[in-house]
Amino acid sequence: MLFQLNQLCCATEFSENSDATQYTPHHTWLRKLPMVWLVLALSFVLIAKSYAGEHIIRLTAEETQDDGFGNKLLAYKMLNHTIDGVDITSRYSPAATIPGPTIVLTEGDTVYLTIENAISGAFTHTPGISKQVSIHVHGVHYDILSDGTLKVINKHDDEGAGNGPEATHTSYEYKWNVAHGTAGTWPYHDHNFESHNGSENKGLFGAIIVKPIGAPHYAKEYVLYLGDDAFWGMEIDGVTQKQSKHGVNPSLGAVKNSDVRFHLIAMGTDIHKFVLDGYQWLDPGTHNLIHQVLIGPLEKHVFTVKAKNSARYMDNNFSNRLMGMVGKFKVQ
Amino acid sequence: MNNNIFKLRNSVSMLTVFILFAVIFLISPMALAATHYFTITAKTLPNGQLGYALGGTEGGSNAEAVIPGPALFVKQGDVVNVTLFNETASEVGFKVPGLKNKNTTRTRPGQVQKYTVLANKAGTYAYHGDGRELLGLFGAFIVDKPNGPVDSYINADGSVVPVTQADVDKQFVLFMVGSTFWGTEIAKDGTQKPLWANPNPAAVENDIVRFHVLSVGPGHTFHLHAHRWLKTGTNEIIDTKLLKEGADSHAFTIKAGTGVGVGDWQYHCHLFAHMEAGMHGSFRVDPAGGNGASVVGASPYGRILLGPKDEPGLVTFEVTDEPASWFRSARGDAIAALTDANGISLDIKTKSLEVISPGSSVNFVMSDTNAVHTISSLLWPTGAHHMPFGQTDAYRGGAIVKLDTPGLYVFTCKVHPYMFGAVIVDDPATEGLDLGNPETNYTVDLVAGIKELPTSSDLAVRLLNTFFITTSPDNWQDYSSGIWNVRFPTLPVRISGAPFGNVADDGNGYKLSLSALNVINAALPAGKVPLTPGVGEVWVNTQFEKTAGKYKPGTTTVVDASNWTVKRKVALPQINNNNPHNMWVNRDQSVIYQTQWFDNKITMINRENGKLIKNIRVGYAPSHVMTLPSTDDLTIVINGENGISMMPAGTTSVTKMLPTQAHGHISAHPHGHWVSADGSRIVTPNINTDDVGIYGATGGIQARTATGQNIPGAHPVAIGMMPDSSKIYATNLLHHSLSVLDGNTGALTKTINLIADYDPINGAFSDKDGNGEIAVGVLPIQVPVSPDGKAVVIAAMGGQIVIVDTATDSIVKMLPCDPGCHGANFGAKQGGGYYAYVTNKFSNRLIVVDPDPNGDGNLNDAKIAGYVSLVESAESAKDDTVSGLPGFGGQGVLAVPNVYNGWVQNLPAHWKEGLTTAQQNPID
Repeated sequence: MLFQLNQLCCATEFSENSDATQYTPHHTWLRKLPMVWLVLALSFVLIAKSYAGEHIIRLTAEETQDDGFGNKLLAYKMLNHTIDGVDITSRYSPAATIPGPTIVLTEGDTVYLTIENAISGAFTHTPGISKQVSIHVHGVHYDILSDGTLKVINKHDDEGAGNGPEATHTSYEYKWNVAHGTAGTWPYHDHNFESHNGSENKGLFGAIIVKPIGAPHYAKEYVLYLGDDAFWGMEIDGVTQKQSKHGVNPSLGAVKNSDVRFHLIAMGTDIHKFVLDGYQWLDPGTHNLIHQVLIGPLEKHVFTVKAKNSARYMDNNFSNRLMGMVGKFKVQ
Repeated sequence: MNNNIFKLRNSVSMLTVFILFAVIFLISPMALAATHYFTITAKTLPNGQLGYALGGTEGGSNAEAVIPGPALFVKQGDVVNVTLFNETASEVGFKVPGLKNKNTTRTRPGQVQKYTVLANKAGTYAYHGDGRELLGLFGAFIVDKPNGPVDSYINADGSVVPVTQADVDKQFVLFMVGSTFWGTEIAKDGTQKPLWANPNPAAVENDIVRFHVLSVGPGHTFHLHAHRWLKTGTNEIIDTKLLKEGADSHAFTIKAGTGVGVGDWQYHCHLFAHMEAGMHGSFRVDPAGGNGASVVGASPYGRILLGPKDEPGLVTFEVTDEPASWFRSARGDAIAALTDANGISLDIKTKSLEVISPGSSVNFVMSDTNAVHTISSLLWPTGAHHMPFGQTDAYRGGAIVKLDTPGLYVFTCKVHPYMFGAVIVDDPATEGLDLGNPETNYTVDLVAGIKELPTSSDLAVRLLNTFFITTSPDNWQDYSSGIWNVRFPTLPVRISGAPFGNVADDGNGYKLSLSALNVINAALPAGKVPLTPGVGEVWVNTQFEKTAGKYKPGTTTVVDASNWTVKRKVALPQINNNNPHNMWVNRDQSVIYQTQWFDNKITMINRENGKLIKNIRVGYAPSHVMTLPSTDDLTIVINGENGISMMPAGTTSVTKMLPTQAHGHISAHPHGHWVSADGSRIVTPNINTDDVGIYGATGGIQARTATGQNIPGAHPVAIGMMPDSSKIYATNLLHHSLSVLDGNTGALTKTINLIADYDPINGAFSDKDGNGEIAVGVLPIQVPVSPDGKAVVIAAMGGQIVIVDTATDSIVKMLPCDPGCHGANFGAKQGGGYYAYVTNKFSNRLIVVDPDPNGDGNLNDAKIAGYVSLVESAESAKDDTVSGLPGFGGQGVLAVPNVYNGWVQNLPAHWKEGLTTAQQNPID
């Protein structure tokens, strides 16, 4: 099907129109269908315009997830996202989340992303310690000034927001060329906080999904980051594009017989063995059906299943299995 | 098989078949297959690493051995014959996992052997030395299709462009080993150039560059910034690729800078701990017209002690489970045996010391260990570049760091904090080895917050002393010999002042020989056994004792407390029992549970006969084990990870791990826990997060309290609890203090400074804290509370036993201990009262402390009741033959019967019979 799913004006309208019903527990797929067709039809009409969207994005980073004893994690928060002037910020959580906002793009788009830094002490100079946060993205094209690394790595600038070892920026803008050949799901993460390795291990990570033009539609998309002791996930509604259920080992929901897509990215130091009990899927880029996958830090693995029955997703790494790194996939 | 199948009906068919065969033969790649003959020689490099050189003869090869070894290029279908000369001291093989290898025998030192490999599948493969490969015996074996494209790249416009060998401008081999990249560049004409460790490969924009990324050992993920490529055998576009544990490879081709332009694009392993361990480099893309010349990394031939070439050098430490040589220089044997110009030994003894020039690097590879570790700086020259160095969590791999500032650097593992490796970065312009930063009068900084410590201070000298004793078994106290010698290297060193001997300022600072610290032929009387017997048995983890039947160290020494003799040695050669560290016993006292701290298992041992019951995987670096008195379920703290493994009583597998931190938070790495007497709470000292955690026995984090007054790296290491669980005691190893916490809430109520009476500059001991006692406990470790709740006994690695009265929470006594004083636990004294059994890593006797000899509750008369040799006698039962370090390595200690409150009540009747009424009811 050659049409653009993510048409902005319409998706936003739909989101507003559907506020009253979108959290209804027994909301059925059938009731949503007319809306879907409306969206699709409008998308089709506006296809030419949607080929090369210009995204203006502002993100910030802040402290979050106090464990009750004063220890905190870090997280990204979406401040603002417009595509060709259309504001789609309401898709995202208003709070800082782990994983950070999932940014959905289409091949051909251009992104201007500005990072800010709301972590306490971000603009206080501390010798030998970087207070910058950055966005280092995988997959898409960008030049060396949008690498999101410290000057000690890229030889040009401390490319982030906050007090860096050599440069301080109140905010920093990256330009991404979402070129043809970059379709896929890719991680983004900090590369600058505290050292040139960044603090992806403290929660500063998220995903971009680059759709090829004319990508198929999924009822639900799940982003699952595999950390060293838990999954950090979110669910994206295929119709409203709303992102929800952020956090640890989320219970993912699906309507029976709908097509849903999992976006796995690993992060940290462990190598994981992911399974979705009783399901098989195509190993990306091949015709091979698999039922488990070994996945190492910052690798991605994207697959689609038809939701047939409820199951558990889990990591079979020895210690992570014992630690309870498992979540529910609820099919109703 | 039915012969008819092969019978052909007539000659026409025969002819057809013949022609078919002929045609198939002609068009098959086999028809074009070549037979290759490679000769390679395995050699020892100047830094002690091993490598392969191309070429060789019986008489020896002049070719330079390189890491990675020479890249071997062949075509699919070729037969590859390799003649291997072995000029190393180790057995070396030649193996290509993934292809058919015809000879798998290893070649003995000085021997030659032929190997044949069938290149039946296209791809990039690792070849390796089949045994010592992590030391450098690895290379790329590249099998290309006989014709057509060898690969494809993704162009800036997204098109997939096939490339032939002729299209490729340059190739890079990057091996991921430990936490280090090892590179080779292959020019268009096939010329190979070693790029050594963590190089910066380079190309000109739009060059077609083929990467062969390979690995041996623990796994990695390879990531190159701003470039993307095809995952082999798929049409999936990736920019990060897993290399699985073992031997793995991934080859891909890129057009340099396509769509992204010129720049210094980082490449790195994306395992976070490996990033922190220094596993990265830069791929530089030059603009058109630039030279695209790679920058070579740190070389084993470079500027290191006795290094032959004037280029940045590299020394390598193997991380091992071997006593004393935990960080073992790859040329440790040669360093330890160094002599002066006259052939007189320099008495270096340790294999854990290296010397390099500024700008060279130190490399670590976890090649001989079954556990996880960190590579963490403990001290470094004041203000040194790249310091402090460390990783957030323990892991498997290695580390690499460039050292620019002259002076002494000491590295340790946070999980196993007596693993030491030292590097002296010496400015060749000064005479004598620089022990501190020459720009700050030779001072050093310590990880626990001390800045600009003069290297002439007593504390610096003590640390030096600790290093040379810990890493040199010749300097340990062997009580069976009756004398003690400590010899320091006769190397001239440059320090901050004149600490010992009459060292004159030669106008350029102070220079002396370390041997001024020597101890020569000191009398070492073994000491008498206690007059009053103990009850039952004392089990001691003699963790360093070596036996003939296993490679890994460690035995358990069982002392009969009725006559103070060694009753049994339990080595467990059938499981290669690895560094047994700590024990507990089940309710009926029939099963000993024992952790293997440098491994991932606990062991169940039949207490009666010392036989193995079961070896059980529980998680990396399990340190301490205790039962819940309420259920007899097992709690095992996983020191290298982030939880407490739970194993229900009567079972033999872990059912769950209780997390010691909230999701996503830094791993606590708990070490020596304790359990409340009612079995409801587990209390852990969290070495990695510098706090004490209280956890519900069924899960849940109840409290986490910072200890060590918030200094970095205070390192809480062991817990003791009052018998009514009302108070928690925690030792802070590197803060030299004892924290007192509320047993229910975890609130910190007091911090007792154990080095208040010590002057770190001049070394004087005096009653500076005014408590009426001169008492010091340097590097405190185990800290049990007596079952009656009266005394806390602290074993301090600096060689002291400190006794604290729980009524006042103040120090009442210091008693002498042996080097490496470590473990302590209480058992019943015959006729009433308790003994504290204290163990030592670097001596071979057990110290028996009586905290209250007259039983009046006043601890002022606390004393050493006697000493027990841990060396086997002719009467000792055993399951293996002791072959080295007899009775050494005392760490975990456990008295049977278990007389702690909560557990003593559950003893079977026949065990209770040996106890007094008070001992059976310790807090009534």
